[in-house]
Amino acid sequence: MKELLLMLVGDAFFAGIAAFGFALLFNVPRQALLACVLFAASAHAVRTLLLHMNVPIEWASFIAATLLGLATVPWSRKVLIPRPVVTVAAIIPMIPGVYAYKTMTGLMTLHHQGYSLALQQQVVENGLLTLFILTGLSFGLAIAPVLVYRNKPIV
Amino acid sequence: MDPNITNQQTANRNIANQQSISRDEQAAITRVIARAGQLLQAYNAESRLIEQTTERLGIAFGLDSVEIALTSKAIILTSRFNDHCVTTTRTMKAHGIDMGIVCEVQRICILAEKQIYGLEQIKLRLDNLAVPKYNAVTVACFVALSCACFSHLFGGDSIVFIATWFTSFVAMRIRQWLTQLHHNLLTVFFITAFVATFIGSFATGFGWGNIPELVMVTSVLQLVPGFPLINAVSDMVKGHVTIGMARWMTATLLTLASTLGIVLAMQLAQLGGWI
Repeated sequence: MKELLLMLVGDAFFAGIAAFGFALLFNVPRQALLACVLFAASAHAVRTLLLHMNVPIEWASFIAATLLGLATVPWSRKVLIPRPVVTVAAIIPMIPGVYAYKTMTGLMTLHHQGYSLALQQQVVENGLLTLFILTGLSFGLAIAPVLVYRNKPIV
Repeated sequence: MDPNITNQQTANRNIANQQSISRDEQAAITRVIARAGQLLQAYNAESRLIEQTTERLGIAFGLDSVEIALTSKAIILTSRFNDHCVTTTRTMKAHGIDMGIVCEVQRICILAEKQIYGLEQIKLRLDNLAVPKYNAVTVACFVALSCACFSHLFGGDSIVFIATWFTSFVAMRIRQWLTQLHHNLLTVFFITAFVATFIGSFATGFGWGNIPELVMVTSVLQLVPGFPLINAVSDMVKGHVTIGMARWMTATLLTLASTLGIVLAMQLAQLGGWI
């Protein structure tokens, strides 16, 4: 139990720093930086906890993104900053970047080395994983405006 | 703030403002709204936000409605008042991602809604948007730290962490330099990925750390087009299918450009396939 907790804290810490770098890259305003780090850290920790409980990665991403999306609503109303400003930077640590690159390099290797069933399997698996994780993340973020605030602006 | 109350207030204001807008004034208002929409689109706000903000600005200025059609390269905007329409088109020059400007435009919209600012003041403020940028070296340091954190999250040890930081820092500085020279985004991604992978391949060649391949893999993660990808899917979810597709295609092209850089660097470094 203690090990799990320590693992989650470490995970949250590094995910938070990762999000901070990208928040600076996206020029997120100063007053939103801390929120960005905290949201990213907690969302990533939630996803890691779910993965630890053997939830498939797409569903874990979806649930983490949904919680993140809902948690940013009160924050966004308080500081009058649109949600995408923090949510997108906060979600970056969960983006399936490695799978996306593996899909592309796999496609190129498929062309370069000739067709093989094993390689094709890897390409399709990585491609689908990228697609579903991304869809899960974006759907999760969109839950609050799509389901709760149907035609009303949040900020 | 309760949105119902705001809607009610704007509705009342509309009644008060009725018949007080001349055609010239309507054209001037439309120009300001178009400028706000153009800024939001140029700095990568999602389509729903552009649609909502332009509509709210129009209502705040006393128009009946603002209709907007978004394409990937331009916005077409019609404002309506007493059955009189003014339509204008603005092409979009992509400026990259800047959430500071998106926040600022949103703030200006709220100031207009609360009637703190008049049309002239808002026009002035939109024309002289001054959003502070973070220092380039600081940004590069922290983006490199982000990539190093990814390498840690994937199970790398401290040597991998440091090597990743160094590799991504150099790559990020080159990326900033190329962006400053106004190169095409695809070229920038290709060259940056090439440099990152090439430097990272030394770690693999010399076998630094517990998983040397991680240096190559994670130092190019700064190039993953996360923002366009998330925007693409959320646009499609919220009904802007065509612009979502366009953004998805842009993101795919950027990934392809980075992958080409990676593959070229690996073939030069004679390391074989990535998988």
